[in-house]
Amino acid sequence: METNVQHQPNQSVSEDRSMKYVLSFVWMLLLTGASFAIVTMHLVPENMVIPALLILAMLQVLLQFFTFMHLDFKKSRLTAVFTFSGIAIGFICAIALWLIS
Amino acid sequence: MSSAELHHHAQTSAPLPPHPEKATLEGRNKILGIWLLIGAETVLFACLFGTYLALRGSNMNGPTTEELFQIPMVAAATLILLTSSLTSVLGVVGMHQNNVKKVQLWFGITVLLGAAFLGLEIYEFIEYVHEGHTFTGSAFGSAFYTLIGTHGSHVLFGITWISSLMIQVARRGLTLETTPKLFVASLYWHFVDVVWVFIFTVVYLMGKVG
Repeated sequence: METNVQHQPNQSVSEDRSMKYVLSFVWMLLLTGASFAIVTMHLVPENMVIPALLILAMLQVLLQFFTFMHLDFKKSRLTAVFTFSGIAIGFICAIALWLIS
Repeated sequence: MSSAELHHHAQTSAPLPPHPEKATLEGRNKILGIWLLIGAETVLFACLFGTYLALRGSNMNGPTTEELFQIPMVAAATLILLTSSLTSVLGVVGMHQNNVKKVQLWFGITVLLGAAFLGLEIYEFIEYVHEGHTFTGSAFGSAFYTLIGTHGSHVLFGITWISSLMIQVARRGLTLETTPKLFVASLYWHFVDVVWVFIFTVVYLMGKVG
């Protein structure tokens, strides 16, 4: 059977993937650590704190989407379009509600 | 693939294809379905975030965000949930290696970490209520508990879902039927972690800087 032949190489590919996941986890930890450090240690000027926090959060979310959630623009374009439409509409909703006050 | 074929597959425990979660049409549809759900849930949470941002200053002489939030507790909750995101993806790696033990180990750790996170959140809510921050006390309280509580209920749903899938895997093993379910549950779990990334940023950290 074909699948039998593919079994061995598949296993080594998965091993490599684990390392990739652990590496992106380390990056997520660093980004999270940076966010907490900015707030507790006052590392950046006061008016830059909130933009810096939001950028770090966006980076971490993109990392989650493209590594942990296996999102791939080439292989699953439809999925990516749906997801980013949801994010775009969500962003508009959040900003609109915020500005009401 | 027909259900008779699937059944045959499960019984003979033939080796799974490299990506068993995408090998059947049902599996592929489930993955597209969870992404649609994630898109919709994003809008739900965005509305709750917007409401919270609009109302967080209306604390009616109750405690403010700066008085209330404890950075160490938030850091611990963040670390727990972030680690559980990693363990669930390692569970999927185990699934791709057709290794039931690895799947059960990593998803089991994911469930335990999820439960620890919920425990911490309940403790946090009890603390806040003692400090006078209640759901009905102010608009800030209502918006805060609705946002964090909705996220917490997603965590609760996730640990219930993953635990029941672990029972199913223990009974049926890794088949073309169970693998898409595990994959979809892990995507949902990552999404719950993504929402937390915004919660710790927008609610807790931005609450500390004012």
